[in-house]
Amino acid sequence: MTTTTASPSIDDPPARAPTTTTTAQTTATLTRLPSFQPELYTRAWSSIPHPTLPLIATAHAKSVTVYSLATLSKHSALTGGHARSVRTVAWQPSRGGGGGSGGEQQQKSRGSGNQRLGLVTGSFDATAGLWSFDGDRDRPGGGLEREVRMGGGDTEEEDGGGEEDDKEWEFNLVLEGHENEVKSLAFSPGGQYLATSSRDKSVWIWEDVSAGGNGDDGEEEDEWETVAVLSEHDGDVKAVAWCPSHLSNARAASSRRHYSHDVLASASYDDTVRIWREDADGEWVCVAVLEGHGGTVWGLQWETKERSDDRFPRLMTFSADGSIRVWTLKVDEEAERLEAEEAAAREGNPFRTGFGGMPNTMRRSPREEWECTAVLPKVHTRDVYSASWSADTGLVASTGSDGIVAVYAEQEDGTEGDNSDNSSGAKSSTWKVLSTIPRAHGPYEINHITWCKRFDSGAERKGKEEMLVTTGDDGIVQPWQVQVQ
Amino acid sequence: MSRDLENANPTILNVSQLPSRRSKRPETRRGPDSKCDSIVYPEQHWSYGINSSSDEGEDYAEDPVDEQDIYDLISTISDPEHPHTLGQLSVVRLPDIHLSPSPAELSDPDSLITASIDLTPTINHCSLATVIGLAVRCRLEQTLPPNYRVDVRMKDGSHAQDDQVNKQLGDKERVAAALENDTLQRMVDKMLETCT
Repeated sequence: MTTTTASPSIDDPPARAPTTTTTAQTTATLTRLPSFQPELYTRAWSSIPHPTLPLIATAHAKSVTVYSLATLSKHSALTGGHARSVRTVAWQPSRGGGGGSGGEQQQKSRGSGNQRLGLVTGSFDATAGLWSFDGDRDRPGGGLEREVRMGGGDTEEEDGGGEEDDKEWEFNLVLEGHENEVKSLAFSPGGQYLATSSRDKSVWIWEDVSAGGNGDDGEEEDEWETVAVLSEHDGDVKAVAWCPSHLSNARAASSRRHYSHDVLASASYDDTVRIWREDADGEWVCVAVLEGHGGTVWGLQWETKERSDDRFPRLMTFSADGSIRVWTLKVDEEAERLEAEEAAAREGNPFRTGFGGMPNTMRRSPREEWECTAVLPKVHTRDVYSASWSADTGLVASTGSDGIVAVYAEQEDGTEGDNSDNSSGAKSSTWKVLSTIPRAHGPYEINHITWCKRFDSGAERKGKEEMLVTTGDDGIVQPWQVQVQ
Repeated sequence: MSRDLENANPTILNVSQLPSRRSKRPETRRGPDSKCDSIVYPEQHWSYGINSSSDEGEDYAEDPVDEQDIYDLISTISDPEHPHTLGQLSVVRLPDIHLSPSPAELSDPDSLITASIDLTPTINHCSLATVIGLAVRCRLEQTLPPNYRVDVRMKDGSHAQDDQVNKQLGDKERVAAALENDTLQRMVDKMLETCT
């Protein structure tokens, strides 16, 4: 393992690692960019970039500060909705009509020009709050995106009043049900479902049943109802994440036809990770328990970069045991072939509609086998609080209690096929550390790291180039330029 | 508190028996003897990065924190049910406090130092162990510089639910949430009243 260590002074660009003669990515240089302003002066938990707009939302104390990625300064704030700290936020996917989901619906809503900006907050006060941004209601053409993009870079903000009164977040709805602190929440890719998790050991799945969700005036009532309470974990559920749909849809339809395409993963204080799917009866069931971590699993992320071998997305998990693991769904080729045959047979028989119509004794047990296919090289000496897997480059970045930021690359060994018992069909690969920055937030713990598109004036390719953003106990939200050689 | 005490007859040490700078137990300490209130009660401003070699930094290096300082910070915390301090009840013991690496050996003020504190609750099923641990962690996080990582644990075998309590006390998120709980916060505040 070649670990690159930055020069002792963290404000200097880190020293380059010695170049080795193997494959493409061998070192990464992380350069500190100006931090987001103003600083928060209190522990900040996480910073979540908007999937398309140049905005990033930071949870700290009882509020959320939204920064502009164009100006690296405050865009707006969400305050007054929670009695205790806001632990987590998620951006609401732009809404399609009613309960639609999947890429198709997303496209439809994009076409209709409905760009209501929505955010959900999860708080230690045991509730989740749905917010919408009202700042642009008076302006014609729903110019939110334009306004945000105009906010910096090429065009300086005209009035200089970055916090004018019309930039308002409205608290629309409170989701109550959890008994203790809400720790994590996530929208399903189409926005139909919201998953929330809590110290009460449960995961709740809420469904969007708002009427007239396609209105352009933003006046529609938000309405969500509970469709499932998953309580199989033995401890706090620290994080939830939905499998990205553009990857799972096609394959779910072909190989996992007795399940819906929405796949949820949860990470827990009980040291395990669980995978959940909705079965043919509409019940959410746990299809796999991933055991291997020797401490609280702080979080997880699905692979978002499409895999060259067209396999199901892998899952990355990170833990208080200081490790980062990658898990792969084990595909049983024979079972898949049988399933396909059964499915074909069913299609010819109108009275047998899927497994739901079969006698219970015949029903295939809804289990999946997941195996840990990689443990990333050990860098961290204490809890790994956060790790992020780039959709563009496949690079992983991690951080945690030890204040270290590390970047890793996966490198195929080129020994494809020599591993005959590798039934998951995964190419053999190893992970390599490209760079480590010690004390990235000085002496403070770092709670979150994320890859994020650059929109600031220093970016060479705005909206495409990726940077890292770290969020720490010092209340600093810190962007980093990443150059891979 | 009107309910029965968990432990009605704890062993209580006299204040003069407690380890201190002037007591004759130097073998339990590392580092030079020195008063270091300037480190233990620092200004709330922490410069790091480019200033690490400034004059200010050198001041810090003169007076490294040692185990006795940690002991002095937490032994004066009051027990939640007895009118005595954790030091008097031997819940906190100097030999069960460890700093790693020793601050005396470090030149960079941003380098991480782990403060490990093993607590010995007065009886092994003390339901207040978590609260005591919380108060200790809270006290140290409020007073030590931010490069300290505080690990508070129950001493092996001293408590029936060691693992559960240790895991809770090691969980930053749970600790943060607990301190937003009014009841717990009031208990901890009361325990810390006797700290100076």
